[in-house]
Amino acid sequence: MSHEELRELTSAYALGALDPGDRERFEAHLASCAECQAEVRSFRPVMDALARTIDSRQPSPQLRARVVDDIGPRESRVQDSRPAQAFRPATVIPWFLATAAAIALAALTPYTVELRNRTRELAGVVRDLSARLAETDRQLVAARNEVSLLAAPDVRRVDLRGQSAAPQAVARAYLSRSRGVYFVASDLPQVPSDKAYQLWFVTPSGPVSASVFRPDDRGRAEIIADVPPGMPNPNALAVTLEPAGGVPAPTGSMYLVGPLN
Amino acid sequence: METPLSDGDALAAAVSGDGTGLATLYDRYSRVVYSLALRIVQEQAEAEDVVQEVFAQMFRQSERYDSRRGSVSSWLLTIARTRAIDHVRARKRLPNGRFGREPEAAAENVPDPRANQESQTLTDEQVQRVRRALGDLPAEQRRALELAYYDGLSQSEIAERLKEPLGTVKSRIRAAMMRLRDSLELDKRVKEPQAR
Repeated sequence: MSHEELRELTSAYALGALDPGDRERFEAHLASCAECQAEVRSFRPVMDALARTIDSRQPSPQLRARVVDDIGPRESRVQDSRPAQAFRPATVIPWFLATAAAIALAALTPYTVELRNRTRELAGVVRDLSARLAETDRQLVAARNEVSLLAAPDVRRVDLRGQSAAPQAVARAYLSRSRGVYFVASDLPQVPSDKAYQLWFVTPSGPVSASVFRPDDRGRAEIIADVPPGMPNPNALAVTLEPAGGVPAPTGSMYLVGPLN
Repeated sequence: METPLSDGDALAAAVSGDGTGLATLYDRYSRVVYSLALRIVQEQAEAEDVVQEVFAQMFRQSERYDSRRGSVSSWLLTIARTRAIDHVRARKRLPNGRFGREPEAAAENVPDPRANQESQTLTDEQVQRVRRALGDLPAEQRRALELAYYDGLSQSEIAERLKEPLGTVKSRIRAAMMRLRDSLELDKRVKEPQAR
């Protein structure tokens, strides 16, 4: 997926509405893209505002007691118990024992400080490793999706040829109704910033959008997109040039076409 | 006159066992949390269960609260929405996977180094503007957005429900979210990535 396409996913991601495949692809990208991170954050106030646009209703007065009296004391008691026990015996310890304890404690202190620093350091290492592991997981999921698509029993290869707008362009796609479409194009002409390419499933009942994308600066693009459930079997794949956000039905000239046998 | 506790201080107080911290947060947010839960689960007793779960989860996971990721109130609303949707999905025996895996909604996972609570609290006027913008959305955009926000459906689930192509649903949701964001008229600093 191109950056432009991924950027299109920011609002649905913030809304929690991405399908699992899209979400994994987007999260893999998000980890390293400051622009998309800022874009995701910019939708957070929208989520808050949506909650606050709802007509305000008052819960029953009994609920307050259920929450404040039940949760608070029950869960905090556990945390309170330790300091209380630690303090009580101190009042009955003879002064010399208390002094001995204080001396022992003083000797222990540098060691405790060292332990604490070491623990903090290790916690940092664990955090770092977990983050790296999560990133590897994400890449693995993306790779597995690709492999699973290519190995699908119903996968079909589609060769797309450049049309008069871009005779040199060429693309190949692997289409599985159950697992999506994997599409790789090369030698596509660059597009102005207000335009993008759109990949279509051409079905007997009309074209259905698969994905909107922009090629990289060498004219290459690689996409994995879902096949909409319930769509009739396509008889071709096609790429047109459209306004940047994509359109519901093709309007621009055809750049690539490939029939499905 | 005493200065009121900030949300962050109230949360810290609640966790340290000070009952007033929890009471403060409850009095401030139970109404909006309950209203959201009720809108999603549509049933009073169940919505109250959700409220209780939300505050219990806040209590248990307070160490996971990170003020850089947003205010206490948006954290509570995120938990509330997730919990309420889980209730509905459990009732309808729909798979919980998408929400079950990560309890916080996606936007919460991206910390904002510049954020502080004040800058993120929405004004009543901003909420009014979003309410108006929501009312002005084309019906089909609003429908798709509501299915995502209140019913927790994914884009392809929405496409299936509305018998519309997935691409159409995706662009409707995006258009709706952009319009609502525009209606907030956030300042540029928040809305756009920082220039390097």
